[in-house]
Amino acid sequence: MEASTFRALGEPSRLRIVEALRHGPASVGELAEVLEIRQPQVSKHLRVLGEAGIVVVEPVARHRIYRLDEEPFEQIVHWVDSFERLWDARLNSLERYLDSVRRAAETE
Amino acid sequence: MITQLFKKKKDLNFERTYEAPVEAVWQAWTQAEQLREWWGPENTTIVECEIDPRVGGQIRVVMEAGEGMGKYAGTRWPLAGTISHIEENARLTYDARSWTEGKEETTTIHHVNDLTLTEEGGVTVLKLNISITSIGSEAKMAAFGMKWGYKQQLDTLAEFLSKGI
Repeated sequence: MEASTFRALGEPSRLRIVEALRHGPASVGELAEVLEIRQPQVSKHLRVLGEAGIVVVEPVARHRIYRLDEEPFEQIVHWVDSFERLWDARLNSLERYLDSVRRAAETE
Repeated sequence: MITQLFKKKKDLNFERTYEAPVEAVWQAWTQAEQLREWWGPENTTIVECEIDPRVGGQIRVVMEAGEGMGKYAGTRWPLAGTISHIEENARLTYDARSWTEGKEETTTIHHVNDLTLTEEGGVTVLKLNISITSIGSEAKMAAFGMKWGYKQQLDTLAEFLSKGI
C-alpha cells in the first residue's frame, strides 16, 4: 500500500474532489462550482491527486477533463488480498500442526 | 475486471475442517506455546507470543520475516488484540490491530476476529470471520470506504471506472 495514496486522500478538500469525481469526469471549473472551492485551489489539489496516481487528466476538445484512475484502488484490493492469502496459509499451517500433534500422540 | 474488484467485501470468511478433537484446535489457538508453532507463514518466525485467554485478556503476536523473504527479511509484523468473548472449546472473539513495525501510522489495520469451533464425529469445523473495520487514520478509512463502504456508491464507481478502460 502506497502511503502517498493515503496522504493524498487525507486532506478534506481533496477527498471531496475524489468523491465528486466518483460521479463522473469533470473539468476544474465544474469541480470548483460543485464544491464551492476557488479554481486555483482545485487545480492545486488535482495536481497532488495526480502525483499520487489517483486522478488522471485527458484533453477533451479544448478542455482538460479529470477522472479517477483505477490503479490506487486496485492496490487497496491487492493489499487486502494479501491479508486473505496470509490467513489461508495460516489455516493450512494449523492443519499441519494438528496433524503433527496427533502423530506424536499416536507414537507415544 | 474492475467491476469484479470493486465487489469484494471487507469481510473475510474462512471455513476449514480439521481431523482433530475440538479441544486440540482450541488449545492450538489459545495457548501461546502452541499458537507460535503454526501462526507464522513460511519464512517467518514468531518472536513474541502472548495470549491471556479471558474476556479483556490481551493477545500479542509478533512475526518476523526470515532470510527467505528477501527484501522483507527482518521486518516485523505485530498484532495486538483484546479478547471480547470467550467460550472454551467453542468461540473466541477478539478485536485486534496489525501493522508493520516502524510504519504503524500508515499500515495499521483494525479487524474483529470471530472464531467458532464445532465438533462432529471427531472432526472439528472451524469458522473464522475477519471483519476489517478500518485501516488506521481517517485518510485510510476514506480510501477503504471508497473501496467497500457503501455498496451502491461503489457500484456506481465501479461502473464509472470500467467505462474508462
